Amino acid sequence: MEPWVVSTSLIFIYLIATIVIGVLANRKGTSSMEDFFLYGRQAGIIVLYLTVVATFHSAFAFLGSGGFFFTHGIGFWMAGTWTVLVGAITYTLGTRIWALGKKFGYITPADLIADFYESEAVRVIVALVSVVFTLIYIQVQAQGLGYILSVATGDRISFELASFILLVVAAAYLMVGGLRAVYWTDVIQGIWMYIAVWAGSLLLTYKLFGGPVELWRRLMAERPDLLSLPGPEGFFTPGMWVGMTIALSFGIIFQPHMMIRYFTAASGRTLKILGATTPIYLMTLFIPAAFVGLGGALILPDLASPDRVFPELLFQYAPPWLTGLILAGATAAAMSTLDSILHSNMTVLTRDVYQRYIAKDRSQGHYLVFGRCVVGVLLLVGFYLTVSQLDFLVTLVTLSGAGALQLMPAVLGVCYPGRRLNTATGVVAGILAGLVTLYLTRVQFPQPLGIHEALWSLAVNFAVTIVVSRFTRLPSQATVERIHGEVERFVYDR
Amino acid sequence: MQTPRSHYLPRTRPGRIATIAFIAAMALAQPPIVHGLMNRTEPLILGTPFLFAYLLLVYFLGIAVLIWALRKGV
Repeated sequence: MEPWVVSTSLIFIYLIATIVIGVLANRKGTSSMEDFFLYGRQAGIIVLYLTVVATFHSAFAFLGSGGFFFTHGIGFWMAGTWTVLVGAITYTLGTRIWALGKKFGYITPADLIADFYESEAVRVIVALVSVVFTLIYIQVQAQGLGYILSVATGDRISFELASFILLVVAAAYLMVGGLRAVYWTDVIQGIWMYIAVWAGSLLLTYKLFGGPVELWRRLMAERPDLLSLPGPEGFFTPGMWVGMTIALSFGIIFQPHMMIRYFTAASGRTLKILGATTPIYLMTLFIPAAFVGLGGALILPDLASPDRVFPELLFQYAPPWLTGLILAGATAAAMSTLDSILHSNMTVLTRDVYQRYIAKDRSQGHYLVFGRCVVGVLLLVGFYLTVSQLDFLVTLVTLSGAGALQLMPAVLGVCYPGRRLNTATGVVAGILAGLVTLYLTRVQFPQPLGIHEALWSLAVNFAVTIVVSRFTRLPSQATVERIHGEVERFVYDR
Repeated sequence: MQTPRSHYLPRTRPGRIATIAFIAAMALAQPPIVHGLMNRTEPLILGTPFLFAYLLLVYFLGIAVLIWALRKGV
């Protein structure tokens, strides 16, 4: 049987399986908003673990990370730093977010932040940041999916049709089964992608080099520039290293699809276990990516598009059945992020916009119907963005990594009682100043002094937030005592 | 209820130990250490370039701190 037939068959079997899971999730679930949007706040450790890691690692883990190792060498092994930091953030901050969500019934990040700062302006700007910077990721994931499927079929299915098919499938099981369907499919996706990356990488490493040790030996002999910092193109400077550590840990955690996961945990203890153990999965997934990317630099040195290094090696050197399994794993990696982003945008738009400002006091069923309609609209918008070649999208994608990071001062002000309080005006001014700085230091004057735009924008954001908060109206004492008091009770059991 | 004390500094002994140990582990994986002293391929560790093996060890150290904190109930 030809490789493309095996690959395509396995991917479509996988897609059918996700739809079946969506239907089963629908039968299990109830028609309440908490169940549809938040899994009833009862996600246990196994389900939560696999959905968090599967969501965190997107198509980038399969395609982009290998490409980074291929181009910039061992410096990308810094990825381990941000994955470990993500664990600590979940352990310390995620548990606080969970406790406040459970106590006060928060569903979205804007619920959490706006309640403390007592401001509709804060709610709107948080919702906007949440949607705009993750909407772009729909396009990124859909493009990755379209690329994977069109490669797997040997271009027998066009990129556009492939993107559309996979967007429709993700939207379908989300509309049918809500977050429960997303979580259940993420369980399969999380297991599949991990096994697929390791299996594919080890097979290629042993087949092409005789094992990792021999791969390292050849790299030292033939491409020593790939084994030291800042790498062949000088990319991994100290400023970029620190900036990427912050942007890709805090910056991803503050995206709504990750923050909403904190609300869904069954207990604070569940989140602590999650925080302590997820870095094992997240970090070790970059080891096989290193083998693929660095090995690819030896085997395919003239590869025009480094992101293609993994599928190119598979098609040339792996058996068809394994190539199919691994490309289905790549599909899983992208879909597990895509469905989560679709879900979070649906939740934010339904909860923070429609329910808050357009149609108050309707039945829960009404909001669920609206949410499903939002998914349909997001599907169309996502597809349009995917097939459009718009210049401003390229700019937005480059900004998106550090976009959600601008919520950091606001979130810390809610979850960490301190000597000074942030104010609504301070938070809004800080976010706006941070976004402007992000644009300037990424697009107009890229990375001044070799320092990543995340650090520039975050520094300005914190400074503006602190200064403006000194001169503007504080949240009411009652609200501060209610929310910070709950944090105190949760953390110190008082 | 009074506004609680600052939460930015840990109040318990295990909390202080875990915080300092984790920050130290993170610092070991950041510049200037990784761009200076540890930016080398030799000596090989089990056939792996030194920088790669060193960072792997530091990452597991960070994870170990988190697991220790979990066991201590921090």
